[in-house]
Amino acid sequence: MPSTPQFSAVNRFGLGARADEVAEVGDDPRGWLLDQLRPAPMPHGYAGLPSSLELLRIRAGLVQGALQARQTETDRAALSRAAAPTGDGAQAPSSRRRDARAMPEDRRAGARTLVRESVREIGLRHAHAATTALPFQERLVRFWSNHFAVSADKNAARSQAAPMEREAIRPHVLGRFADLLLAVETHPAMLLYLDNVASVGEGSRLAGAAERRAARRARMAASGIGDETGMEDAPPPRPVRIPGLNENLAREILELHTLGVDGGYRQDDVRELARAISGWGTPGPRQLAGAEHAHAEHAFVFRAAAHEPGARTVLGRRYAEDGLEQGQAILRDLALHPSTARHLSLKLARHFVADAPPPALVERMAAAYLRSGGALPALYRAMVSDDAAWSPQARKFRTPDDFVVAAMRAGDLTLGEDPRGLLRLLDGLGQPVFTPRSPAGFPDTTADWATGDALRKRVQAASALAARMRSPLLPVALARRTVGAADGDLAALLRRAGSPQEGYALLFASPAFQWRV
Amino acid sequence: MSVEIDDARDPRFDASRRRLLAALGAAGASAALSLWPRLTLAATGTDTRLLVVLLRGAMDGLHLLPPQGDADYARLRGALAVQDALRLDGDFGLHAALPFAHQLYARRQLLPVLAVAPPYRQRSHFDAQDCLENGSDRPGGARDGWLGRCVGALGGEAAGVAVAQVMPLAMRGSDRVATWSPPLPRPLDDALMTQLQVLYAADPQLAAAFDDALQAEDAGMAGAMAGTMAAQDAGAAAAAGGRRLGGFRLPDALAAAARRMRGAEGARVGFVEDTGWDTHRGQAQALQRKFGELDAGLRAVEAGLGADWARTVVLVVTEFGRTVAVNGSAGTDHGVGGHALLAGGAVRGGRIAGDWPGLGARALHEGRDLRATTDLRALFKGLLLTHLGVSEAALETRIFPDSRAVRAMTGLV
Repeated sequence: MPSTPQFSAVNRFGLGARADEVAEVGDDPRGWLLDQLRPAPMPHGYAGLPSSLELLRIRAGLVQGALQARQTETDRAALSRAAAPTGDGAQAPSSRRRDARAMPEDRRAGARTLVRESVREIGLRHAHAATTALPFQERLVRFWSNHFAVSADKNAARSQAAPMEREAIRPHVLGRFADLLLAVETHPAMLLYLDNVASVGEGSRLAGAAERRAARRARMAASGIGDETGMEDAPPPRPVRIPGLNENLAREILELHTLGVDGGYRQDDVRELARAISGWGTPGPRQLAGAEHAHAEHAFVFRAAAHEPGARTVLGRRYAEDGLEQGQAILRDLALHPSTARHLSLKLARHFVADAPPPALVERMAAAYLRSGGALPALYRAMVSDDAAWSPQARKFRTPDDFVVAAMRAGDLTLGEDPRGLLRLLDGLGQPVFTPRSPAGFPDTTADWATGDALRKRVQAASALAARMRSPLLPVALARRTVGAADGDLAALLRRAGSPQEGYALLFASPAFQWRV
Repeated sequence: MSVEIDDARDPRFDASRRRLLAALGAAGASAALSLWPRLTLAATGTDTRLLVVLLRGAMDGLHLLPPQGDADYARLRGALAVQDALRLDGDFGLHAALPFAHQLYARRQLLPVLAVAPPYRQRSHFDAQDCLENGSDRPGGARDGWLGRCVGALGGEAAGVAVAQVMPLAMRGSDRVATWSPPLPRPLDDALMTQLQVLYAADPQLAAAFDDALQAEDAGMAGAMAGTMAAQDAGAAAAAGGRRLGGFRLPDALAAAARRMRGAEGARVGFVEDTGWDTHRGQAQALQRKFGELDAGLRAVEAGLGADWARTVVLVVTEFGRTVAVNGSAGTDHGVGGHALLAGGAVRGGRIAGDWPGLGARALHEGRDLRATTDLRALFKGLLLTHLGVSEAALETRIFPDSRAVRAMTGLV
């Protein structure tokens, strides 16, 4: 059914109508949205969450402990082999199992902390989405989180995905895209997820030292020095690994974060950008766990020894060697590239307006962004002020996460004591929180989400959500206030519903509730 | 697909395969096409099955099938070169984490296909997957997928099933394709479904999907029953050696697909996808685990299909290969040529297909990647034609339009 601008403001651009929200929009829906582009405090409870640096520290402790345990195990196995040269192979695996169970208390506590804090943050985040009075701004935060997707199924980045949204995205959602980009690409979540922590310039001091070490070892081996240890059973010395470049982050910066895949870059540009940002990493284990004077103060470090020296050329422009500044300068230029403007505008318009948004709208948004020198509010304003974004026919199919948040807002539902129920629900619906399993993020079109199996699960989820409803409004009244259905088949069904709970389930499971119109 | 392959061949390698080809009577330039030795039309009834497994993220073919006969392999791969592979032939081994696949090879039910890629030469995962799935010659070249169009072309009651939470591009294009993923632990309210029917019927974009929802195989069953089915799927995977760490992993997904493809009513075309193959770091450990899952998954498919295994081809593909050289973090970056695996009772296996271009400096694509000598569409077309019995007309006009230059591979089944 066609929507009024008031409903579009809260459903298309917001996070789904709360029962009293449409009435608050008044007769200036565009103004209601633009008014939300003002600095907002952090969501309730965020102040008590651990910083990414603290999380890095806890994780470093876990990894260190696991390495030590493995070393102890290896030593013990070597001892027992020496003690029983005939070899009793059955013993080793069972003792390893015992060791795994006997994980020391401090490491178990560390692991528990990481999980607990992650779950807590996600719970606070959803509670905020369900209640915020600035839903347009919150939707923008979530849009950028998905644009700069970090998938928590990569172990190293697991506990950092939510903190990246908190530390890098929220502070810049109303700022310049260049600042947002720099904050994200220097956040440990992204550096770990896309492997830049392991990228080392081929001509860097670190690579040079490794090459010299390897050459020395080769000379020793050739002259037979290494063979005179007298231990025939000793394993050969581990080969020296020469560290080198890792293209992963550089490629996704160009392809996904800035220019877009058809944005006009080539393989050479990927390599050059990778060299420019080599050395962008996180503090090492010694800095994280080590003595007071070695303590890391930031979650980002520029490791000059791993940085590829020399000038770089990206998209035909030359950047002189300037340490950390070199990569930053390239990112700042990428942020203002016309391809980036188009790419961001298309993704935003596709997210808010329609799977295939009007090209003219995208062009106008891109132009406004470039005119403003890359200011994100100018981009948002261009979209909201454009008639093409308010077409009554335009509609977007709610992703599972959208759907759950919209139901929480409509029904004034809370998460209760344990947010893990919500995590399981979103898992089952196909949109596990912060886990798109790809740096491209979750897909954003109807064809991706509206399958028969998905609709069945929506119906199941609708029943589950409705069972928790304690609304003073009857289903018909709630429908009128949230999706605007005052008559027609839905209203008739809701009136006939056998119980309020059945009515709420029908509302949440109805096609009207699956669309943002 | 151009056939300038012989020039790219490393002369130090593959002599045995050339001799074999000569013995088969394939001479001259066509010797490159080792899959065209003769035109065998396998019996294609209406009961054959094709299960496609897409490994998203670019599975490293050189790690799966280490080219031990290639003198450049150990040098280029360094510490990452696979040492203890299972023997396939004199030139190639199979990673030791795949003992079941190795058994299949011995039973002549496994056919590795070397140096394949979709007709896309950049290195974006997402564009390459798009190209591979839409079946055209470029990303964005079609709005639906070759497997979906294939189900449409099969006609009759033929159905497809994708074990996925969102419909993969490859399977879009037919209203006889359904998705399936583990059910929520809650009964589906039939009365609610019935009431919603009238609302969804009026929504042109959702009506068909809602019909699928109503007709899904476990629709109408009590939640407990749905739970049991999920448990059976999990059980089959567990029995096949799959790991279950609380999540739904590749062996579970393959077991679920097999269940839905089994028997006269089963889907003829299946699709399963998996992620986690983008091994930029710590590749040896990551692939040790992932290959183990793939192997357990193949085992689960055989167990799940029962007698239908004999009429099945499982096609394991990925969007491109990875750099031949190790990168700076014991991993590999995005490359070009990759390998595919065919497994199943219908496969003419126990040998290696495809053209090995070699790893010599002049043979490599842009000096860094394994060259792709076969367009993946040739493999796809060959399977649809000779295994599923799709008509050539449907193949050339509907499923892979404008691809006549890419000739279907033969001798696969």
